Amino acid sequence: MIQTLRRLFLTLLFLSVSTPNLFASAEDEAAKESPIDIMGTVADHDYLKTPFGKIYLPRIFYWENEAGEASLDAFSNSKAAIASGSFEDVDGIVTPVAGSIIVDFSITSHLIYFWLSLGAVFIFTMFARGRYLKGVGRESEPKGAVQNLFEIFFVFIRDEVAKPNIDDRKHAKYVPYLFTVFMVIAFMNIFGLLPWAATATADITVTAVLAVCTFVITQFSGTKDHWGHVFWFPGVPLGVKFLMIPVELIGLITKPFALAIRLFANMMSGKIMIIAILGLIFIFNDMYGTVAAYGVSIFSVVLTAVLYILKLFVSLLQAYIFTLLSAVFIGMAAESHEHDEEHYHAEHTA
Amino acid sequence: MEFAYLAAGLGAGIVAIGAALGIGMIGRAATESIARQPEASGDIRGAMILTAAFIEGVALFGAIICIILALKS
Repeated sequence: MIQTLRRLFLTLLFLSVSTPNLFASAEDEAAKESPIDIMGTVADHDYLKTPFGKIYLPRIFYWENEAGEASLDAFSNSKAAIASGSFEDVDGIVTPVAGSIIVDFSITSHLIYFWLSLGAVFIFTMFARGRYLKGVGRESEPKGAVQNLFEIFFVFIRDEVAKPNIDDRKHAKYVPYLFTVFMVIAFMNIFGLLPWAATATADITVTAVLAVCTFVITQFSGTKDHWGHVFWFPGVPLGVKFLMIPVELIGLITKPFALAIRLFANMMSGKIMIIAILGLIFIFNDMYGTVAAYGVSIFSVVLTAVLYILKLFVSLLQAYIFTLLSAVFIGMAAESHEHDEEHYHAEHTA
Repeated sequence: MEFAYLAAGLGAGIVAIGAALGIGMIGRAATESIARQPEASGDIRGAMILTAAFIEGVALFGAIICIILALKS
């Protein structure tokens, strides 16, 4: 068996080395460019890919013409915007002929998937709500796959994420947010695994918005102790207190920044890895011919299948990590110390 | 500049070394402590994932900078 495989791979290796000479004359100069567009697959688009073709999405611009008049214009798609005469296509980006875009409100593929996952969470939660209002799950056991699934996730977020990390008296207030953020990220990640779909979380703007939500909630739930730590660090000499203020302020910003980057980079790197490994087939096809492409596809397809299973796990894990870290940050800010630190130190060092 | 590509490649490698060292240490410590105290394995696993996530975050900062370097040139 091993012998056969080795012979097969040696043959393929030989073919991959020898075929360029055979096909070199047929090579087209124009085909020199990479046959796959790696960054294009993770970028945001003005159309929605479906199994039946592309659906072009509306473009909405708040823009300024050359006279300096700002106006809000909506077009049914990019082509209509260009056909209107005030916009032109510059390297695939719709830009005004004169003037500039102030805010681009266009509905893009990532936004659609963000809304889709929000809708999915809404339907999921409202379904469970209906069941609980009827008394199923309160007076009796939860019924059906959907309600049981809801209960698994909800109890997990409440008991494993919120309760251990946030102050016991306050944690119930944050469970709805944590549950929503977990489900939305999980849905977005899993929608991204569909063959034609876009991963909304592989976009820094989407993850940044989620991180800003966590940041705002964290700051609004900050207690006196939290702000005391930021502006007047307890238990250090006076000079160091002033030194700690900028450090603590930077610390406030880096937490949501790291949250956004972590989710974004994880989802994007997974996507790029899969595209790159599958793209090897097409690159080999271009460079060394069809036989080499078939050879590479054995390796590529198997590796991609394994990567997809890993990505399914990573989708849920990253949603969990985002939620867990949000809970930890909120818990750190909402924590109020039982006794003040100086008093505590004096008591315990004596 | 071609050197930007070189820097991006080397940087990605160094980032991977750092992250591997960090996560390896966490894994070793976590498995050791689970072996010593199997009843606390749930808590230890949670702490392990949390710490690994922090290290991963730092590693990803590096990786993103490498990607930006490679795409900029």
